[in-house]
Order: sequence, then C-alpha cells, then structure tokens
Amino acid sequence: MTTPTDDTKTTDYAAEVPVRLNWSQHAPEVYKAMIRLETVAKRGLDPALYELVKIRASQINHCAFCLDMHTKDALAAGESVERIVQLAAWEESRHFYTEKELAAIELTEAVTVLTDGFVPDEVYEKAAKHFDEPELAQLIAAITTINAWNRFGVTCRMTPGHYTPGGHA
Amino acid sequence: MTARTQLLDREVGKALSALSAAAKKGLGDPVLAELVMIRASQLNHCAFCLDMHLTLARKNGEGEERLGLLAAWEEAADLYDGRERAALALTEAMTVLTEGFVPDEVYEEAAVHFDDGELAHLVGLITVINSWNRLMVSRRVPPGGYTP
Repeated sequence: MTTPTDDTKTTDYAAEVPVRLNWSQHAPEVYKAMIRLETVAKRGLDPALYELVKIRASQINHCAFCLDMHTKDALAAGESVERIVQLAAWEESRHFYTEKELAAIELTEAVTVLTDGFVPDEVYEKAAKHFDEPELAQLIAAITTINAWNRFGVTCRMTPGHYTPGGHA
Repeated sequence: MTARTQLLDREVGKALSALSAAAKKGLGDPVLAELVMIRASQLNHCAFCLDMHLTLARKNGEGEERLGLLAAWEEAADLYDGRERAALALTEAMTVLTEGFVPDEVYEEAAVHFDDGELAHLVGLITVINSWNRLMVSRRVPPGGYTP
C-alpha cells in the first residue's frame, strides 16, 4: 500500500478493498470510446476549471478513484490546496472562486443529481451568462464525461491511492 | 417546449455514439439493453430518451405490459426474468450514485447472471445512457422528434 502518508508503518489502516472488475480489460473497445469522449469533451475548456468540475462531480458521486486522480492532477497543475478543500462547501466559500467557476460548479451539481429533478432554469441561465453557447456545450459534455468515469470507478470499485499525477495523459 | 440549446459538438456526439455501439454489441441483448435504457431514463427524468427507447423497445417486439410496469419492476417481478431483474437493480444503483455506493449484493447478483465480459459491457451501457440523459436533460431537448 502506498497511501496515505509516511506513517503507514506505524498506523493500523484498514485493508485495501480489491477491485470488483477490470472493466477496461473486459471491454477494451468501450474503454477506447471513453478515452475518445474525454479527449473531445474537454476541448475549449479551461483545464483548471475542468479539474474543479471533475473533483466536484466525483465528490457528489463518491468516486474515490476519481478523487485521487483529479485532486492530484489539480495540485500538480498548480491548483491551491485551499480551493480543493473548500470545493465541497463552495456555497459558503464563494470568494475562493470566480463567478464563472461558481456558475460551472453549480451546473455540475445540477447535471450530476438528475434523479432529484431537472436542471433548474436559473442554474442553466447563470451558466449561459458566463459561457458562450459552444463553450457551454463543451462544459455540459465535460460534466457528462466525468459522471461517466465516476460510474465505472464506483461500480467496478477501482482502487484509489495509486495514481501518479499526469498518469492518464 | 423548445430546447435550451441544440448545440452538441459533432465529435462529442460521435464519441458517445461509438461508446453506445460498443457497449450494446458487447452485451448482445437488444431487448435487455432497451429495458436498461428506459429504466435509467425514468430515474433521470429524460423525456427525449424515454420517447426514443420506448419506440425502440416496441420495435424490438417488447410488450406494453413489461414497458408500462418497468418503473415498478420489483412489484411485478414475475414479468422479468432473473437476469433482467439483476440488470435493472444494477441500473438503479449505478444511476443513483449520489445516494451511496453500488451495494455488494446488487453487484454480486449481477455477477451471477453476467460473465465478466458481459458485465463490463452492461456497466458501459448503463453509463452511456446516463451520459445521454445528462446531455438531453441539460439542453432540454424535447421528446417526440425521434424516428427509428
């Protein structure tokens, strides 16, 4: 086990839970299509913004593997620890983020929690104020794509803790 | 009702269509695939996707009783076989991730009815319909426009 810190020798952490299914090996053409989707969905989006979107969706969907990957990638790209830590409570820490980021985060939540209702008009309209139509289409595609990765990660119980920043690039 | 925007990057649409095709082909059960896609679209409230997949299910010979009772399949369990029920339970668990993890018993029941290859593609299919649901609901693409 490589997580979480240097004190692993002295701390009695719980055992690592094994992966349920190596889905990318059993469905390589599905994995290939996911990689393609990821590549085209993020085109035209600010990479720092996209990491915030990915972290917030992964928090709501409880995807440990995706959180491991995207917090490490965000930190490696220069994102601050504070902005990552505060993201789960962004409504109370709005001053850590730009209005454009806040609109994107709010849209991320609405598009991620579809089962509770529709994407509210005010959320969509706020996003449409900050993103022009093509950029908004990409943002929606990007939110959709991280939701897709979250589903594979959670269902197949992909193991967090072993990701090296830049490892999926 | 009009769409908020019809805009969808062509390459994104193509990538998602490729994902759908790969998942469906690997699962190799078009009737089951439609049941799964209808159930996810019910949970995600996607009118466009419901219209489309109800049309496709009927075209594949699915009956009105099984379609009509799908939202209450647990209470109409004798209409669906064990494999279908396992797939529907997995569909629900994977669609409502925000309320918790995919329970062991749901995953294990699916693993009884589907081998690893089928299961990987079923997981892919449930993921892809969740993706279409998000794209259509977010942009509020109206139902009724689909012809098979």
